[in-house]
Amino acid sequence: MIGPTEVLNTIWIGIIYMIIALPLTLSYKVTRIINFVHINFITIGAYVGVILFLLGVNSLLLVIPASFLFGAAIAVLNHFIAFSPLEKRGANPVILMIASLGLWIFYKYVVYAFLDLGQKVFRTNLFSVIPRATSLPDVSVGGYVLSGHFFAAILVAGVILGVLYLLLSKTSVGRAIRAVADNPTLAEISGIPKERVVSITWALCGGMAAVGGLLWAVFAIATPEVGDALILQIFAVSVIGGLESLLWTGIGAFIISGAENILMSLLNAVLGVPVSFRPFISFSALLLIILVKPPLGAGGGLPYRFKIVRHYKR
Amino acid sequence: MAESGKLGNPLKLAAALVLGLLLGIGAGYALFSGGQPATGPTGSPQLTPAPETVFKIGFTIPLSGELSSVGKLWEKAIYMAIEDLNEEVKAYGLNVRFEPVVLDDKTKEEDALKNVQSLNQLGIKIVVGPAASSQVKAVMNYAESNKMVIISPSSTAPTLAIPGDFVFRNTGSDALQAKALAALVSHEGFSNVVVFHRDDEYGRAFAEFFAKEFSALGGTATSMPYATGLSDYASEVAGLSSKVQELGADAVVLISFDTDGANILSHAKDDPVLSNTRWFSSEGIHGASELLQPEMANFLMRIKFLGTRPVFRENPLYKDFAERFKKETGDYPPVFTDKVYDAVFLAGWSILRAGEYDGEAIKKALPLVAEKFYGVSGWCILDENGDRLMQDYAIWGIAKSGDTFEFKDIGSWSAGALTMEEED
Repeated sequence: MIGPTEVLNTIWIGIIYMIIALPLTLSYKVTRIINFVHINFITIGAYVGVILFLLGVNSLLLVIPASFLFGAAIAVLNHFIAFSPLEKRGANPVILMIASLGLWIFYKYVVYAFLDLGQKVFRTNLFSVIPRATSLPDVSVGGYVLSGHFFAAILVAGVILGVLYLLLSKTSVGRAIRAVADNPTLAEISGIPKERVVSITWALCGGMAAVGGLLWAVFAIATPEVGDALILQIFAVSVIGGLESLLWTGIGAFIISGAENILMSLLNAVLGVPVSFRPFISFSALLLIILVKPPLGAGGGLPYRFKIVRHYKR
Repeated sequence: MAESGKLGNPLKLAAALVLGLLLGIGAGYALFSGGQPATGPTGSPQLTPAPETVFKIGFTIPLSGELSSVGKLWEKAIYMAIEDLNEEVKAYGLNVRFEPVVLDDKTKEEDALKNVQSLNQLGIKIVVGPAASSQVKAVMNYAESNKMVIISPSSTAPTLAIPGDFVFRNTGSDALQAKALAALVSHEGFSNVVVFHRDDEYGRAFAEFFAKEFSALGGTATSMPYATGLSDYASEVAGLSSKVQELGADAVVLISFDTDGANILSHAKDDPVLSNTRWFSSEGIHGASELLQPEMANFLMRIKFLGTRPVFRENPLYKDFAERFKKETGDYPPVFTDKVYDAVFLAGWSILRAGEYDGEAIKKALPLVAEKFYGVSGWCILDENGDRLMQDYAIWGIAKSGDTFEFKDIGSWSAGALTMEEED
């Protein structure tokens, strides 16, 4: 039935889903690009940790900012080499999404090539690694071993969410980001430097997703495909937020993680559903939520709005 | 319409004639000049050596995806083997060279099939790989109808033991390994176990055969499959934990690959029930470097984690190979690397023995080559299903050596007899 393990996993996984899905929603809100490079942010963030741990850097205080900076740098780079030039030439969101698909494949193989090299340098298998900061002790609560990494994940998530909240609600940069998200044209007319706001958003989103990837690798495992294997859940979480609401994205993270852990375990115990049905359970939960209670009015986000736009044009 | 178009365009016809003429001249010239030395008078010394014949060997291996952690190292073994094979044939005075064409199948069924199709289009008739049984199943029919020989170094599912097909497997079927593992678990004194296995061809077949063998020894094995290709298995491990409690099972048998298995064990380590349960496993996770991390290794040693893996007993060649591999890559060869290396030799010598680069002929030659081939993975003789006939199994565990940890064989299973080394 439901033991402490299920609850612990729900919290831990939920936190990580949230840290990875929030920037996906935020970047879509601001740029209207369904960004597949998000997958690479996760993988690259995880491997920044792996490499630094291998180099003997054991402090999460150093590893997490490094991971953030790496993810942020790649996100901004993408903006300047691909998305921004394409947009200037009038590319629509579908074309930008396809560009992001191309970048996703590109970065994926860059990571493979890099790991191949890294394998030669470090003389160890980099294609499947469980990174661990040895400086974190485990905590034993009533015969239950709670990994120090669990508390680290909560702490990191708390700090990131706090900073994100303050940034978006209390600073002028945050107000500019929200203005561009609400109505880019109006924001530009009102003198908000859209280009700069968009690059700041990318940096924020790439960095956050990378840190999420690192937390995930510490919890689960790092492989060159870790982002690929995770992205369906992340999209599910973001879709629960209608790719629009940050609050619902946060809630969605725990809905999906709860479905995967607590609901799965209940179904297994009561109805004998095999645990190999887990992916089915989480996506059924997603469908159910979208059908029964769309979080953002009818259909929530993308498809419905596009339909309306097309009607107007005709 | 088409007819009149054809007749109505004499220009095209003329062009075709000219092209045909040029081709004919070219071909005639090539035949004439190329044929001359061979048909020359006996004993006359050749001025230029005949060009060496190049044979291509196709590979479809998991360079990305679930098995990439082993696939990447297999790739190194392939190039080592090709180099060694080319040297060997030169030493026999043969003017031939083998060339590898290595494709990545992402550990996926459909990509393995796509690769075999591409290799066929390149005219390649012999392919080493794919790795997973589910992938072998996916390419089997295509290989059969296109007369392509498949040598999988690592597919072990007993369900694919089919006589007379184009699939050869340079490793023993799990029908035998299941027997060895059942004997090991029973020998360690357990009679009620949960088999936690991949929900794919390999895992299902292994679990089924294990349950059969284990019940013959008086035990009960409950099978519990988990979905493959996920990014994490924490929730599955939690399910396993309650299952073990519910059944009062005294041990877990893990049938996994390396990445999923390492992830499962890392969660089991923190589970109050599973971290105090004995664990056993098949060969799938042997060699995974995650198992040697101190935290994990200490846990595995504490619960006395034991597994089986196919080996060839007392093979001096293997030791040299392992050391050489370690020197070149920094890692000891992961599971099945020796079989990949030998598969390259089997492929090469079979092509030569066949006398022509033709699938049907190579298929006939391969068992005859294998019968007389003793490589780094031992004697490669095949049974009537085209699977490895002589297969022993080592019992492996984790041991401490100095400050680090290593995989260590602590026993063996051969022809129905389990032998454990004396414990200190």
